Amino acid sequence: MTTTTPATPATPGGAAEVPSDGPSDGGFEALFEHAPCGYLTTTDGGRITRVNETFLTWTGHRREDLLGSAFGRLLPVGDRILWSTHSAPQLGTTGSVSEVVVEVVAADRSRRPALVTATRVPARAGADAEVRLVVFAAPERRAHEQELIAALHRAEESEDARAAAEGEARRLALADPLTGLPNRAGLAAHLGAALAAGRSDVGVLVVDLDHFAVVNESLGTAAGDELLLTVAARLGAAVREGAVVARLSADEFAVVERCEDVEAARGLAERLLEALTAPVVLDGLEVVASASIGAAVAPPGPGAAQRVLHDAAVAVQRAKARGRGRVEVHDPTRTGAAADRLRLLGELRRGIADGQLRLHHQPQVRLRDGRLVGVEALVRWQHPTRGLLAPVQFIELAEQSGLVRELGAWVLDAAVAQAADWARDPGCATVEVAVNLSTRQLTDPGLVEAVTTALSRHRLPAHLLVLEVTETSLAADPATAAATLVALKELGVGVSVDDFGTGYASLTYLQRFPVDELKIDRSFVTGLGASDGDTAIVRACVQLAQALGVRTVAEGVETEQQREALAAMGCDVVQGYLFSRPVAADAVQQWARERTGTTAQPAT
Amino acid sequence: MLPGQPVETARGTTPEESAVTTHPTVETVGTAAARHRVRVLGDPAGPVLLLVHGFGTDQHAWDRVLPALLDGHRVVLLDQAGAGGFDPAAYDRERYSTLDGYAADLVAVCEELDLHDVVVVGHSVSSMIAARAALRAPERFAQVVMVAPSARYTDDAATGYEGGFSDEDVAELLDSLDHNYLSWTATVAPMLMGNADRPELGEEFTGAMRQLHPGTARDFARATFTTDSRELLTRVSTPTVVLQCRDDALAVDSAVREVAARLPHATLVALDASGHCPHVSAPAATAAAVLAHLPGRP
Repeated sequence: MTTTTPATPATPGGAAEVPSDGPSDGGFEALFEHAPCGYLTTTDGGRITRVNETFLTWTGHRREDLLGSAFGRLLPVGDRILWSTHSAPQLGTTGSVSEVVVEVVAADRSRRPALVTATRVPARAGADAEVRLVVFAAPERRAHEQELIAALHRAEESEDARAAAEGEARRLALADPLTGLPNRAGLAAHLGAALAAGRSDVGVLVVDLDHFAVVNESLGTAAGDELLLTVAARLGAAVREGAVVARLSADEFAVVERCEDVEAARGLAERLLEALTAPVVLDGLEVVASASIGAAVAPPGPGAAQRVLHDAAVAVQRAKARGRGRVEVHDPTRTGAAADRLRLLGELRRGIADGQLRLHHQPQVRLRDGRLVGVEALVRWQHPTRGLLAPVQFIELAEQSGLVRELGAWVLDAAVAQAADWARDPGCATVEVAVNLSTRQLTDPGLVEAVTTALSRHRLPAHLLVLEVTETSLAADPATAAATLVALKELGVGVSVDDFGTGYASLTYLQRFPVDELKIDRSFVTGLGASDGDTAIVRACVQLAQALGVRTVAEGVETEQQREALAAMGCDVVQGYLFSRPVAADAVQQWARERTGTTAQPAT
Repeated sequence: MLPGQPVETARGTTPEESAVTTHPTVETVGTAAARHRVRVLGDPAGPVLLLVHGFGTDQHAWDRVLPALLDGHRVVLLDQAGAGGFDPAAYDRERYSTLDGYAADLVAVCEELDLHDVVVVGHSVSSMIAARAALRAPERFAQVVMVAPSARYTDDAATGYEGGFSDEDVAELLDSLDHNYLSWTATVAPMLMGNADRPELGEEFTGAMRQLHPGTARDFARATFTTDSRELLTRVSTPTVVLQCRDDALAVDSAVREVAARLPHATLVALDASGHCPHVSAPAATAAAVLAHLPGRP
């Protein structure tokens, strides 16, 4: 990558201008019509003025039906409202919207999940203002969306509250100094004892005061303390003798009481909620405390204390998410996705600290002469009980939780260390190591320094490191991304655009960034030779890369047929199971020694 | 409530104080001002402009027109039931199953703050809510301003009326709100973060959106899309200004014209703005149109 020329368009005006400026060049016109994404232009008012072939093929609409009609009419009514009340106004005020998740109604009335990115071009001399839209198919995005939003938000909130509360408990003894109630540690001790005594009817209720921070901030901590004391007293008065009331964190209480089953726990929770919602006079103002309550009954078996607390905590998060001031009961017949994610998140945090992460490397082979030119470093998690986990099983969670920062830092350092090892081995001294950067890493102001530090600590020549960024992360904050990539280029590091073709705005955005390499997404490579559409897309990508003067890498190459097609198109480098699966570092060295190669040979 | 978000109320703003100071307070639970997170800005002695946001947004939708309105006017903003910072505990599904429930809220706020000669500006469906408020308490309102209004969103074959939506559209919308509201709010919030110089606005919005109960959006959507206000408009005695935009996909031309035609005292104004949200996309033109038609102006 460092040997290629900078990313400058081959033609003045560049590929990015194609959608607006029309058929200035036959090749670019074809690129526009058969781009890997749908392109439309509309008037300021949303009337469609241009649409490319890809969009027509994808939706089944006829060009003559679309021209002059409203773009919003292509969306189901809910999305149309969102577009009209949010996206269209934002286009007017900021000039662009990115990655709006919508469905597009096809000619046969079926729905196609899509990501829409749009930019508004203000009126110029002789031309009215227009809006350019880039539409990408996004079925997976749509599918993950709901689950992610619902579960991860809850999990994160709950995990934060739990982590903070646990820190508190370690500092204090077993009792809370304000209320005199047991704290989290005290509660755990009590629960453990009750369960160890063989009781099978232990219910735990977690009571979370709604809006407590507002009381504290507005009326002062003295009033806040008074409210807490009132709540503690009311909880104490509402439970049976022998029950335990504890204060888990600032605004979180717990009650342990005998509950035969979940219905008994629910009844108790509702009684407590009622007791809490009687008005309190604080600082002369009458305030009604509202609370969310999560209830759970201890399951049989080992680890019950921790599990029942956890289940009640998850339930209370659900109560909060569902509008607060209500009761939610953990249903033992359903193991919630949120709970699983929460557990996994904790395990991952420990896993990173305890050195459970591994790097595997997938060789990248130059098609021209079959030489190993680089590897992509891929993280694996050696989970203590579930075995070796692939990134797909934990990356998303890490990205959503913020753990991706630590994960990314580990991968970068480990990959640079490994690359430096190879650089000292004459057998593979020129092997480049590619590392994936998350969106968070790319926008982290400390990234350039982290890369500089890693390179110098392990004394790796910068040109042997390639950083892979996705189109999506470039578009999240293009100005910052461009500045970061320029700084990385100055270090001598290579920059690759990953998953090319699956993002959006490819043509528009690319030339703004100093890119050395495009990685064509595996989903298109898979269809090579089998699908005319995919073949056209891959060819368009390769041509685009050549026009920009950057190297192309095809991912997911699995068959000889695909390899031949890529070679015929002029693709530079290939990566995939046809050559090697991701392997450990020593296997890479052996691999390199075995094939100094003349043509790209499949694995034997 | 969101910690850190200022709560300004009528009680916190006295005439002696600077016009737009903010006073974080905790309201005694139960006041309409607290429930609706009412903010009173501008000139305490000026005539009252009550700004009422539409479906899917909250009072911050008016942020861009505020600078042009604050001078010389007492501007009252609120979050309607189920939106923004509205107190979830005060949400009553039955009350908010019709537009009348929302209209009663507007009247309650006017009474509690003792507002008179109010110019109520309603966006989208809230123009119909404003019309209902004017019918309930005509003595409080001097004028209704309807921004991109529609009295009926569905087509009506019997009268040849074009509302822009089919019955199937509406059925599907209500269904999709059941299944997708969380993703809806998550989609909307990042879009609202377009305001790069005020990132805290995005945070505030995200928080506000996440508090929304999916059911509340569905109630509002149902009330919005299944109500026919055409007949009711003929009884509105309050002078009304109707602001119409070009290329409005939600309040289609025919629907806006119908609103003006049904109202006994309507002035139809063609705004130099396109789309459904002129107060966001063309704030200067919107504010100018509101100010130009205030009661008492020549």
